[in-house]
Amino acid sequence: MTAIAERRAEARTIFEGHGLPTRRVEEWKYSDLKSALGEAGLGEATAYARLLGRLPEGVDYCDLANPKPWAAAHFGALQFGGGARNAVSEASLAFAEGGLALRVPAGLAITEPLMLETGGAGHLRLLLVVEAGAALTLYESTDTAGPRNAGFEIVLGEGAHLAHVRLARPVETVQVEEIAISLAARARYDGHFASFGGKLARAELAIALEGEGAQAHLSGVSVLGESAHADVTTHVIHRKGNTQSTQLFKHVAGGKARAVYQGKVTVAKGADGADSRQTAKALLLSETAEADLKPELEIFAEDVKCAHGAAIGDLDAEQIFYLRSRGIPEDHARALLLYAFLEEALNPIANEDLCAAVRAGVQTALRGLL
Amino acid sequence: MLEIKNLHVSVGDKAILKGLTLSIQPGQVHAIMGPNGSGKSTLSYVLAGRAGYDITEGSILYDGEDLAAMPPEARAAKGVFLAMQYPVEIPGVTTMTFLKTALNSQRRQRGETDIDAIGVLKLVRAKAKTLNVSEEMLKRALNVGFSGGEKKRLEILQMAIFEPKLAVLDETDSGLDIDALKLVAEGVNALRSPERAMLVITHYQRLLDYIVPDRIHVLAKGRIVAEGGKELALELEAKGYDQFVKEPA
Repeated sequence: MTAIAERRAEARTIFEGHGLPTRRVEEWKYSDLKSALGEAGLGEATAYARLLGRLPEGVDYCDLANPKPWAAAHFGALQFGGGARNAVSEASLAFAEGGLALRVPAGLAITEPLMLETGGAGHLRLLLVVEAGAALTLYESTDTAGPRNAGFEIVLGEGAHLAHVRLARPVETVQVEEIAISLAARARYDGHFASFGGKLARAELAIALEGEGAQAHLSGVSVLGESAHADVTTHVIHRKGNTQSTQLFKHVAGGKARAVYQGKVTVAKGADGADSRQTAKALLLSETAEADLKPELEIFAEDVKCAHGAAIGDLDAEQIFYLRSRGIPEDHARALLLYAFLEEALNPIANEDLCAAVRAGVQTALRGLL
Repeated sequence: MLEIKNLHVSVGDKAILKGLTLSIQPGQVHAIMGPNGSGKSTLSYVLAGRAGYDITEGSILYDGEDLAAMPPEARAAKGVFLAMQYPVEIPGVTTMTFLKTALNSQRRQRGETDIDAIGVLKLVRAKAKTLNVSEEMLKRALNVGFSGGEKKRLEILQMAIFEPKLAVLDETDSGLDIDALKLVAEGVNALRSPERAMLVITHYQRLLDYIVPDRIHVLAKGRIVAEGGKELALELEAKGYDQFVKEPA
């Protein structure tokens, strides 16, 4: 039995031991996965990831069913969120047959975005290795099939840079993606997340700033109507000194929609001089919409700067009146203000084309809300 | 152009305007002066159509139409403009985007075609120059981080761009130093025209040194209690509002 086969067998045992999380598991309190999936559960089928467009020149790849040494070295090794072993990510490891592994070789800076789509029902595994000094922009979109459970491991070498834009289409099913990211010294991860919700739609990030000076900057929006649900759960661990993390998540929810943000930042012993900021805001457009915003901090180091905040509100009547008094019809004024509210969390997307794609998705979703 | 008859307005249970009558013809500039709490801002908000101001009696006719029946955006499209005492800050919307959206929203309601981005830019730049509104201000989020003077100048810039038929200026002088006041007044005076009526609402006579009105109305306790020509402002400055506010013995 190979090391990977052993690891997958272990994952199966762990998943079967824990089963699907219920609302009694703290990390899943606002996202009732077990009920959303019903009797059928997650099943054991394999979903897929495919490239949209071509693979940028210089990017190496393989199937996880037959991994090259660099893929075998990392596959199944990262720590996902949710304590000892995360049952949901263990399930994707146990059941997905193969999966896509990508590698950007050391020192190679790729400007052309790598475009991926995850699709189908079942489990899926992805691995991305950006080696020392390399850089990549990754665009990840989702199709509307499901239920789907994706597990994504991202390894950033020293001084590597990954810009990751994830656009989760509106779906009527369950889509869960667990993303574990490890950053070596001076590596940088910029993650941007747009979600339009589903029966249950969740992106969970476990980010480990393992090296001195590593940085993770996260921003995201969700625009939810009817009975849509979207959950962003993050756990950023500062393990070394002078590491930085920022998070800015903004949600708009109407109808009976539910927006969830759970963000935990841990500054480990010895990570002195760490700097962390966390902001989550939600606008609720109806009495029946709900937002659960839960920023958390755990600090075990000295001389750290940490700030966090959360706010839930409604559109400002004074602003609406001002715009209307200038001739802008009420529904247009509301759309303009909602867009303005989200702007701050869309602006950080550096790649102009990808930023435009996300903005277009947000505008469509906002029109559906008004 | 504007005919207000026996107007009674309540905010919640509180009666603020109690039988106000006022008539303004095209080409005229009228001033409303009054102490704090006399109902000046209420009048401006009722004209612009802000929610929460209930007309309990009387009427407002604008060009022969019932103004109170129109939503705020329709009033703007038909040429009513309120320069607000406290312009609202809107983070995330640049001033230029706002101006373009507002101008084209008004035009669409009138059945006119949109002006494209370049056309709007040219129009705004030309008018902005005379009011000393910088390119940098136009790129910033609407009113965010603007000084009091900058906010008021932007209100007058909007008036210059939208070319309203009836402009209501609510305490446009408040918070301005003398240089800013002169600049704003010059901007307003440049917009005086035979087709346009203006209603200048102010607590102090100072603004009326620069924007000289055809007629002055004194508002106290929700009614017009005195009327006269521009010399009335000087009398008020000398004697104060007490003569109108005191209860009769």
